[in-house]
Amino acid sequence: MKRSTPVNHAKAAEKFMKDTAHARFHDKRLWDLRQKRDQQMHLLPEWQELRTLASQIKEHTLAHLPEYLEQFEANALKNGVHVHWATDAAEHNRIVGEILEKHGVRTLIKSKSMVTEECEMAPYLTQCDVQVIETDLGERIQQLDNQMPSHIVVPAVHKLASDVAKLFAQHYHTAPDDDDPHSLAWAQRLAARPVILSADAGMTGVNFAVAETGSFVVCTNEGNADLSATVPKLHIATLGIEKLIPRMADLGVFIRLLSRSALGSPITQYTTHFRAPQKGSEMHVVLVDNGRSHRLGMEEFWTSLKCIRCGACMNTCPVYRRSGGLSYGAVYSGPIGVIIDPTFNERKYSTLPFASTMNGSCTHVCPVKINIHEQIYQWRGVLANHHELPFVKREIMRMVGKILGRPKLYRAMVQGAETTLNVLPRFLLYRTMNPWGKNRTLPRPVQQTFHAWYKEHRVKKNRNT
Amino acid sequence: MTSREEILARLRNNRPHSTDYVLPSLPLLGERTATRQRFEENLKDLGGQVLEQQEGEIFSEAIARCFPDEKVICSAVPEFDGTLRLENIISPQQADKVDVLVVRSPFGIVETGSVFLSEKELQHRNFAAHLTQHIVVLLSEKNLIANMHVAYDQRTEFREARYGVLMSGPSATADIQGVLIRGAQGVRTLRIWWE
Repeated sequence: MKRSTPVNHAKAAEKFMKDTAHARFHDKRLWDLRQKRDQQMHLLPEWQELRTLASQIKEHTLAHLPEYLEQFEANALKNGVHVHWATDAAEHNRIVGEILEKHGVRTLIKSKSMVTEECEMAPYLTQCDVQVIETDLGERIQQLDNQMPSHIVVPAVHKLASDVAKLFAQHYHTAPDDDDPHSLAWAQRLAARPVILSADAGMTGVNFAVAETGSFVVCTNEGNADLSATVPKLHIATLGIEKLIPRMADLGVFIRLLSRSALGSPITQYTTHFRAPQKGSEMHVVLVDNGRSHRLGMEEFWTSLKCIRCGACMNTCPVYRRSGGLSYGAVYSGPIGVIIDPTFNERKYSTLPFASTMNGSCTHVCPVKINIHEQIYQWRGVLANHHELPFVKREIMRMVGKILGRPKLYRAMVQGAETTLNVLPRFLLYRTMNPWGKNRTLPRPVQQTFHAWYKEHRVKKNRNT
Repeated sequence: MTSREEILARLRNNRPHSTDYVLPSLPLLGERTATRQRFEENLKDLGGQVLEQQEGEIFSEAIARCFPDEKVICSAVPEFDGTLRLENIISPQQADKVDVLVVRSPFGIVETGSVFLSEKELQHRNFAAHLTQHIVVLLSEKNLIANMHVAYDQRTEFREARYGVLMSGPSATADIQGVLIRGAQGVRTLRIWWE
């Protein structure tokens, strides 16, 4: 296989941060979502119990995934749903393409689905002469701008209204200086309606698939997913195999957590349960592996499959908030992206586990209790062992390892560093030697190291007793 | 080997020890009071409204008062005619012309101010609930369920309906610069009429 170049996250982030207006809004908007999530959490005394249950249900399901997939399939077939299995992205796209070809579909309307992004389905179908139209507002904005979604829940969160105004003026012929979000959203409604009414097929993603009933649930806000699924006579739903849950009652736990964690709203405006095709219609479900069965075998990383794609880890992450989703150069960005992207391509995404301050905030907000920051740390180890570290990082790590392995040398270095911080001129500290000095202020050097203080006070005290 | 067999075999081979991970039993958690007042508060939080009955007013009068300029009032309930009956709609194109849809919901969920609709209430015209500009949902206080846990535990509709949607207020988006807009691509307003 061709060796791909690692994503230069740091450089892309630097570029993102240069545009102050965008960078400030991005940071503020996502932190606002995090705070709304906290408010919802405080309203439910059972919040931590819900997280524990959600985690246990997901871990159990993943450990019994073959059985639950078979149960889901059997029930879905009984309900009159066509079930397809795709080992990888190429097979997924081929299956969807064949269903569409069989029905003579020229226009496909779709709602948000990260799996279709992961499989790069839209470019494939375009080659098959199928017009693919995103109906979610944020996804549509990204589609018109030829960009990946920058966030798994709010795909165009890195854009300002003026950016959308420019895009819509170009594609929907709205007034370029009208950047009122209300009139822009209205323009989307007006543009989407005729397309929805004349589309040949609709496609949705899936939030949860229930094994015991063979049904699946889609959680959305705009109404576009329900339109996409109910207006055309053909509905294709595509999902990663980790979306399974055993029981209908488990939905109580997950629905209560999902939107509260994602947007800080108690529920999405639409929570739709699809069990069987509508009268006179056809329904297809595509179960996608694309690396998931391999990930299940990774002892340190399999629990990342518990993810319900709420985006809470992204909203809380200081690196994500300041660097923007597109800087990760991957379909999945932010903390969750950092731990699953390397399973798709270790070299290409080898830089991503370093896009973290290791503050652990992601782990604390995760509704299914994935130990995200620990997995980020473990990925660094794996990448080092697989020689996927860039030269400078590798050399620094080697030196740090030597120093940390020898206490005396370490203490001498720390003393030295404190002195250095006091005497070095600012331009050296903040520009040349230390990339951490960019956009950050180093702590004021202490008068005395902890070790020196301990020696002076505790050791003496111990001697006295 | 089919793709199905290949995926299942890989999962069997790679999964963690299945006996280590027990499926927890589910307690009925959460606030358990199912009052109309709490339902209304939560409904309003999500942008829904209550069509209040004025003194001596009957339903058709309330609709006329609330929607003085709307032309196509479509009814899915037997006791109110509107200008068009839902069973007479034969296509999404026709449903797209509807200004107001009146429909009865079998139950509401207090925790989230949600109402349930399925192909039964929508007479196999599920698209009508999303193509109409506005929706008025008839709901009885005795059909209020306290929260999501109780709803999934008790309401058989979740298992029986082919299509079942919980609508919590009107459609909404905040995809442009974080500005919350009620009335995105589905219904622009959602109102509850207590019966």
